[in-house]
Amino acid sequence: MSTSNILEIQGIDKQFPGVKALSNVHIDLREGEVHAVCGENGAGKSTLMKIICGVHKPDSGTILLSGEPYTVENPNEAYARGIAIIYQESSLLPELTVLENIFMGHEPQKPIVPFLPAVKMIDYPSMRAKASSIFERLGMQIDLDAIVGTLGVATKQMIEIAKALTFDSQILILDEPTAALTSREVETLFETIRKLRAEGQSMLYISHRLDEIFQIADRVTVLRDGEYIETAPVTSVDKNQIVSWMVGRTLTNLYPKEEVEIGDVVLSVEGLCQEGVLDDIDFVARRGEILGIAGLAGAGRTELALALCGLTQPDAGEISLNGERVSFESYRSAMDHGIVYISEDRQAYGLVLPMMLRVNITHKVLPSISNLFGIIDRGQERGITDEYIEKLDIRAPDGDFVVNNLSGGNQQKVSVAKSLAVDPQILILDEPTRGVDVGAKSEIHRIISGLAKMGKTILLISSDLPEILGMSDRVLVMKTGTKAGEVMRRDMTQETILGMAL
Amino acid sequence: MSATTVKKRFKPTRETVLALIVLAFLLFLSGTTNFASRSGLYSFMLDVSPTIVAAIGVGMVIFTGNIDISLGTMSGFVAYTAGALVKAGAPMIVFVPAAILVGVFLAGLNGFITVKFKVPSIVVTLAMNMVHVGFYATFLPQSGWIENLGPRFTWFGRGRFFDVIPYTFVVAIVIAVFFVFVMKYSRFGKTLYAVGGDAQAAVYSGIDPDKTVMKVFLLEGFLIGISALLRAMTRNEVMPSVFIGRELFFISAALVGGISIAGGSGKIVGAVFGAMFVYLLTITMIYFGFQDYYQFALQGVIILMAVYITVTDFGRFNRLLRRITGRPPVHS
Repeated sequence: MSTSNILEIQGIDKQFPGVKALSNVHIDLREGEVHAVCGENGAGKSTLMKIICGVHKPDSGTILLSGEPYTVENPNEAYARGIAIIYQESSLLPELTVLENIFMGHEPQKPIVPFLPAVKMIDYPSMRAKASSIFERLGMQIDLDAIVGTLGVATKQMIEIAKALTFDSQILILDEPTAALTSREVETLFETIRKLRAEGQSMLYISHRLDEIFQIADRVTVLRDGEYIETAPVTSVDKNQIVSWMVGRTLTNLYPKEEVEIGDVVLSVEGLCQEGVLDDIDFVARRGEILGIAGLAGAGRTELALALCGLTQPDAGEISLNGERVSFESYRSAMDHGIVYISEDRQAYGLVLPMMLRVNITHKVLPSISNLFGIIDRGQERGITDEYIEKLDIRAPDGDFVVNNLSGGNQQKVSVAKSLAVDPQILILDEPTRGVDVGAKSEIHRIISGLAKMGKTILLISSDLPEILGMSDRVLVMKTGTKAGEVMRRDMTQETILGMAL
Repeated sequence: MSATTVKKRFKPTRETVLALIVLAFLLFLSGTTNFASRSGLYSFMLDVSPTIVAAIGVGMVIFTGNIDISLGTMSGFVAYTAGALVKAGAPMIVFVPAAILVGVFLAGLNGFITVKFKVPSIVVTLAMNMVHVGFYATFLPQSGWIENLGPRFTWFGRGRFFDVIPYTFVVAIVIAVFFVFVMKYSRFGKTLYAVGGDAQAAVYSGIDPDKTVMKVFLLEGFLIGISALLRAMTRNEVMPSVFIGRELFFISAALVGGISIAGGSGKIVGAVFGAMFVYLLTITMIYFGFQDYYQFALQGVIILMAVYITVTDFGRFNRLLRRITGRPPVHS
């Protein structure tokens, strides 16, 4: 392997409003190597990749491609400079054929009218020939005329790679390529990556799955909270070393966890299964308890929450509430049983942003505050709204304030208020502090503690490990749809939890 | 794969199913009425031509996930322009391009507002539709009514080959063939599907969705220009208001033809058969003596069913077909 650097990223800084996404990050990619970039969710991996392919602009720092300065405005220019990225989200069009997809926007053309070279048509024979040679290179048999929408996830992933290769790129960037694949499909993908490496293709491989990094990467760079931590050849480090680099931050006193007497079992789940998503999940949750649910993105945490509150239907398994077996055909029936779910995407599912505070907070209790004809009792509406504005300390002048104009933290409080208005026994909070600033974060934690103290059962789904450690009485760790383990508060460390989740 | 000679099984697509329905319709009409006569066929081909051309135009706009409901009123302006120029003594070489340019300008304006101000095209074209109608009444002399245009205007529209095939039909078919070719063999054609299918994916593929939408509106304007002329030039007078409401036929022809209103899928050839289907439906009801309003209502219901079968639930239709015929599943 040659040791010249094809890509050098030096001192990249990137500030988003309120968040320092990257600070002084540097990576060098050698020619013909697979270089893994890893870090927890939010460590800045994807931001870095988006800077390389021109979606974001760095605030400072330089990038050198084969020794030349490299700045691009959009993905198109990145392709032209020889950097192709395979995105987490699919860039394929399901209605078109494999052939049409991989050359989309840059089909080879030939002139059709003599003396008028500007009039061109797509040159199908050369397109086919090029496509066949690319799939041959990938060691893959495929019908070029197959409609992409009819193919499996793994095949689509390979088509994405083929598409990137049509650009004759010097550098391939794979962003979490295995997220949607089964282990056998992952193996096929790795075969392909190894094959490409053997041909001298340089690749950046973004992942937080450590096992994969040891299988295919030559070197690994670890990022944490937007900062560069370390780069090392994978042969000279072990998994524990990487984990400690990934988590080695100091804990701050963000977590006003209060000791609460934990009561009887409220919720008990046995053998919960859902095809392809959840596999045999067992757990219980008690009165006054905060049960943390940890795991990597894609481990099935949100899916578990959805199945618990009737938003999706499990294929097998039992859910019992206070010892009584229940099944929910809709979210409404789960709510009637006292289970509420506060979505991780509060903007899309949790709140009606352009509407007033009072409309949002009373959304779930409308039937109980409106009369026979569905007319809302304004007095009750105001009463409930003012109560929660005060209780949760929502920073809004009054109940007529439009939710959209609140800060992220206060929006989250409105989301919680809306759910509390139905007086639930169980609250499922999905990433309650994602995207809120430090101050609001600690307030939300205080609210969660307060709820537990009131005797509510809290299921706290979070990718923020310190939050899980700081807030939970017990943690359920999930990994690829299964329960990887359970840890009591006294035994919790970042290493034990991350060790189970990875 | 090139080397392996896989014998392709016949796989009917939406478009072939529709073509078969159209064929069945033609046979049925020929058997039960005097449709198969010279005059029956002539008037069918004459009537369907403008709709074929317009359905191709709006069909391409729909590919990109947009829509244009000012097609009818735009056609009115095109027809008026042609008529006014003829009255002023302009030769065909002048009034035809000028009228088409009016179509390009109006549709281009729709596209420009859609792209530049990020207003959904349904809103833009709905509003423009109203602006056009108001304009007819306010600014055009006699609301744009011009009569006695004479053979200088009508010779092409009324001309026919072998006394049965209208010139206008030949124009429509040439345009259809050309655009089938464009969709398959031009980058532009592929780009339309990409923008309508998944704008984000299009950007990742290095396509500029705004530019594409602007181009497709200009092209639609060109085709609306031709479509309006094909219809106007069959009559001795022009009256812009007769075009009001024509967009319903154009759009339903495209939709019946399997072009998805959500964008990103469909075929030009589908729009052509869709146009024929919509016309055959009208003709059938005329032959069987339905009153006007029944006709309209029934037509609406049948179009709804056709779109349901060809677009919304082709999968279920396929399974049904398979159960009836015992054949392997149809490719969707």
